[in-house]
Amino acid sequence: MREAAAEVWKRLRAKPLSLAGLGLVAFFAALAALAPILAPAPASSRDPYLIPQDGYSPDPVRPSRRHLFGTTEQQYDLYYGIVWGARTAFKVGCTVAAVSLAVGVAMGGLAGFYGGWVDEVLMRATDVIMALPGIILAVVIVTVRGPGLFNVMLAIALVHWPSYARLVRADVLSVRQRDFVLAARSLGAGDARILARHVLPNSIYPVLVVASLDIGAVVITAAALSFLGLGAPPGYADWGQLISLSRNWILGSSGSPLAYWHTVAIPGLTIFLFTLGWNLLGDAFRDILDPRQK
Amino acid sequence: MLRFVLRRLAALPLVLAGVTLLLFGLFSRLSPEMRASLYVTDPRQLSSLEAVVEKHGLRDPFLVQYGRWLKDILRGDLGYSETAKMPVADALAAYFPATIELSAASFIPIVLLGVWLGTRAAVNQDRWVDHLSRFVSITGYSLPSFVLGLFLLMVFYGLLQAFPPGRYSLPTDIAVHSPSFRSWTGLLTLDTLLNGRGAAFLDVARHLVLPAATLTYVSMALLVRVTRSSMLEELSKDYVRTARAKGLPESAVIARHARRNALVPVITVASILLVNLLGGVIITETVFAYPGIGRWVAQAALQLDVPAVMGVSLVSSSLFVLGNLAADVLYAAADPRIRLQ
Amino acid sequence: MRRLTPLLALLVAFPGCARRQRPSSTYVYLAGSDIDSLDPDWAYDRLSDAAILQMYEPLLAFKPGSAAELEPLISEKVPSRANGLISADGLTYRFPIRKGVKFHGGQTLTPEDVRYSLLRFLLTDRDAGPSFVLLEPLLGYASTREGGKPKPAAFDDAAKAVRVEGDSVVLTLKRPFAPLLTVLATWAPMLSKDWCAKSGEWDGTRETWARFNNPAKESSFLFANANGTGPFLLERRSPEAKEVVLRRFDGYWRGPAKLSRALIKAVDEFATRKLMLQAGDADAIRAERLQLPLLQDLDGVQIVDGLSLVETRPAVFFTFRIETAGNPSVGSGKLDGKGIPADFFADKDVRRGFAHAFDYEGYIRDVDRGKGTRAVGFIPRGLLGHNDGKPRRGYDMAKAAKHLKRAWGGALWEKGFRFTASYEAGDQPGEAVANMLKRSLESLNPRFRVDVRPIQWSTYLDQQSHGKLPLFVTGWTADYPDPHNFAFSFMHSQGNMPSTQRYRNPEADRLVAAAAQELDEAKRAALYQRLQAIYEEDVPSFTILNSVYYRTQRTWVKGFVHYPMWLDAPYSCPLYALEKSDS
Repeated sequence: MREAAAEVWKRLRAKPLSLAGLGLVAFFAALAALAPILAPAPASSRDPYLIPQDGYSPDPVRPSRRHLFGTTEQQYDLYYGIVWGARTAFKVGCTVAAVSLAVGVAMGGLAGFYGGWVDEVLMRATDVIMALPGIILAVVIVTVRGPGLFNVMLAIALVHWPSYARLVRADVLSVRQRDFVLAARSLGAGDARILARHVLPNSIYPVLVVASLDIGAVVITAAALSFLGLGAPPGYADWGQLISLSRNWILGSSGSPLAYWHTVAIPGLTIFLFTLGWNLLGDAFRDILDPRQK
Repeated sequence: MLRFVLRRLAALPLVLAGVTLLLFGLFSRLSPEMRASLYVTDPRQLSSLEAVVEKHGLRDPFLVQYGRWLKDILRGDLGYSETAKMPVADALAAYFPATIELSAASFIPIVLLGVWLGTRAAVNQDRWVDHLSRFVSITGYSLPSFVLGLFLLMVFYGLLQAFPPGRYSLPTDIAVHSPSFRSWTGLLTLDTLLNGRGAAFLDVARHLVLPAATLTYVSMALLVRVTRSSMLEELSKDYVRTARAKGLPESAVIARHARRNALVPVITVASILLVNLLGGVIITETVFAYPGIGRWVAQAALQLDVPAVMGVSLVSSSLFVLGNLAADVLYAAADPRIRLQ
Repeated sequence: MRRLTPLLALLVAFPGCARRQRPSSTYVYLAGSDIDSLDPDWAYDRLSDAAILQMYEPLLAFKPGSAAELEPLISEKVPSRANGLISADGLTYRFPIRKGVKFHGGQTLTPEDVRYSLLRFLLTDRDAGPSFVLLEPLLGYASTREGGKPKPAAFDDAAKAVRVEGDSVVLTLKRPFAPLLTVLATWAPMLSKDWCAKSGEWDGTRETWARFNNPAKESSFLFANANGTGPFLLERRSPEAKEVVLRRFDGYWRGPAKLSRALIKAVDEFATRKLMLQAGDADAIRAERLQLPLLQDLDGVQIVDGLSLVETRPAVFFTFRIETAGNPSVGSGKLDGKGIPADFFADKDVRRGFAHAFDYEGYIRDVDRGKGTRAVGFIPRGLLGHNDGKPRRGYDMAKAAKHLKRAWGGALWEKGFRFTASYEAGDQPGEAVANMLKRSLESLNPRFRVDVRPIQWSTYLDQQSHGKLPLFVTGWTADYPDPHNFAFSFMHSQGNMPSTQRYRNPEADRLVAAAAQELDEAKRAALYQRLQAIYEEDVPSFTILNSVYYRTQRTWVKGFVHYPMWLDAPYSCPLYALEKSDS
């Protein structure tokens, strides 16, 4: 195991772009971890995820010493929102990836292992979910359950699991026929035991990699839902929310068309860099894991 | 082959039943009062809430409501969309062409640019064009369409006032809705040309630029990657070496031999991409206020406009199933080694 | 790529983009929402009604700039007791019908058409529609249906209340109703009976009325077709383009309008509306106070500010008996610092303390950009009974603390509370009100906690109808500009807000009913002053400011007159007065 890790590290080091990806993800992880130090919550605050509001004027204010990144409409501090939003992004990305992965593995494992009608029912369910544009389904789920971060995560997980389930199923199908599984079965091991001890561990790695690399995409989808007004309530540190707060201000005032550039550019760039980090990293892993490319 | 197609087609009603049951089931989790919000839109109407619930049968059991909807559908009545302010069937007819137009306006550049970039990248592996292709695909993957869209709007609309959102500006709006304008296809770029309205054509084209550019950029990545890797694979094969050994010029080797074979997986990816585009326009259409099916369904879902969401889902799910089928068939047709079963 | 460049250049340079120097003859108004229905008896949203009243005319009209004074329209005179057209007991109204008024389709308006129009308004009575405004005073009941079925007597009752006598139409009321004339200046405009009957609409007979009662929206012929007597006729309605196009009616009885055409179009995004205005493609747009800095100093664009409307918005409402079962908005549901009990706001001192804790002036300064004045009571400016005096309760944290210390026998101050204050998602002023209240309450006592939550319209309906929202920020815009509409909605136990707040004060109920029947203006005004004194005493809700609005239009638009009660004002107005000219 340690050798494999060393090998991965060696290949990673060979590609500057991959290192950049690693650096970006590490940077955001640090941002998330150090949020209470980088942007201390005001003493009166009860929930650090709520961005402090400096007055109630509707116009965004440009970056200044008082507000490093400026403020959005209604005077939410952008810097604070970006820093604490990193925590939200990791929370959303990791939770959704983990949940949809767990569901996907369970469903795909069952379908692949048992086959027959179990397989048929589960696969038709994935057909149905995948036949709908994911974002429509997610929007419907969130509107039905009410806007909010938890429901956004739930909706994305529900939309995401079928693709993992299919991957796992395909892997399980191939693993199931291998000698060691047949051997375990002939030794009288039960279904659950075979599935848990022999089949899944051997088919889980590819999908694990895929899922961890989907974190960037998950964060984009969550931000898109926020953008449609379905995310966390106003003032909650969430990047998608910050972007949607900029929607009224892309035009600027007369004479200075870019008067409110920061409301779009800063949160937009943040989401972009975060996703870029994950994708660069993902690209590197794909190259490393793909035996055809050396 | 035929049996394969027929079997897949037979699964279509099953998928559609599943999709509509799923959505209907989700909506029925809402209280009747919440669903009445589609018809009761003002606090002044609060006192008549119960009457509205009653009138639309929102308190009936789930299966009764679904059955009612199904019966209407089988009669050819898709219902009335409160968000579109017209019957769902009319709204589909009005918004679908707009989405097709936008999808086509992005699909064509995606394929042309994507294949070109992918091929060049493979041929010039690890040279600047390869790096460019990597850059394009990675940033395209990482850029949310609404971020790119808002940014483009800020620059090209707010600053330069060049490319406005929407589908047309007012003079065109009036022109295309005048009685003398004949709607042949619903695709305004074609219709304006067929009606000989040059100015209107330019206007419609101008409105397509930003959303199409956004969609192109964020969707091209996959195609570039597939073309590149498939091309790399072909280039390493024996027959290419043979062709080169024969002394064929490199451009001919690539154009006549390698690329033709490399395009087989690309065709599949492209047809799936086209179907995904139709579903993926939701955010882009919303950002650019483009009156297509995606913007409509997003609005409809937010306002619990059940008939509209169901109608759009029926269409898009059918497209998804048919599109995937087409991809498989194309794949088999392009590569004689593959047999469908 | 190279081949594409000229095309791109052409697209950029396309003339539609450049500012047009001369106005076209079409007036274009960009609204924020869609027109719902063009049936005058079905529509009950501001934009539809505003479009309808360009094509159809009710009996009376408001005087330019006024929300209270009326002038004749289809009726040749404004009835009053002085001119003898209102009986001494206030139960009979006589409307002499104007002669020579033509419909767009060429028919001449008759008193029978007027009767038909009023009957159709009464008997269409769709669920959640506007018909109740006339049903109550004329028939004595608010709905023509019982248990979902049309009442058999409704037609006869209506026919008794609305009669033709010679050249006049006579209305008979069940009891005196002071707001009647203002209702008739907004609702039930004139239709052509023949035309309607020929188009498959109700033919005006007793036998068929039930079939047209409570219709489906799109089943009405008038949903997408129009034939009125107004200055504009319907050229087309294009739902896919979200627009309605009106054309000048040259046979209009007051002489043709100056504008030859008008287009009312829904454009959801403010950014698009702004650009179209800037480019001269639009003549007036909907724009909220928030967006003012984006519109100032634009070339050829004029802002007319300081326009008041007949509305009371925003206001903070308390629920007196909250439904606590399965309701996360009340936390633990007990007064233990982690929630609030069902009757939390039934304690007068809580409501008073909250009202003292709101920074009214700060709101006007920051959120409303310094526009508007502090409101006293619930009757907006321009209406009888509006109070221009000093409010009894201002922003005063010491007094807020005093009341909250006294509330719940001191337990509230000691234990603290936690609940959720809500506003409708997207309502920015409402959001600011909730946040300001939250912040100032929490600064009073560390054990006070207010969570602020935006809720979707659907959730609002659900929760409000079940009394689940402890505190809600919303407002009220008039159905018709009479203080009764506000008194009933803010104070009467069956009114829209109090019935969901579960607020009930028998004295207030009595005063509301008495004021509605009082025909003497001075006495009536006094009754409303008493009602507003009770309002300040009871604080079932509190109002914040007399808000003012602004209109954004091209400078070439001439003749704009603000009608405070015009639906969708000040963005739209009667088009008859407008013209477009460069001079």
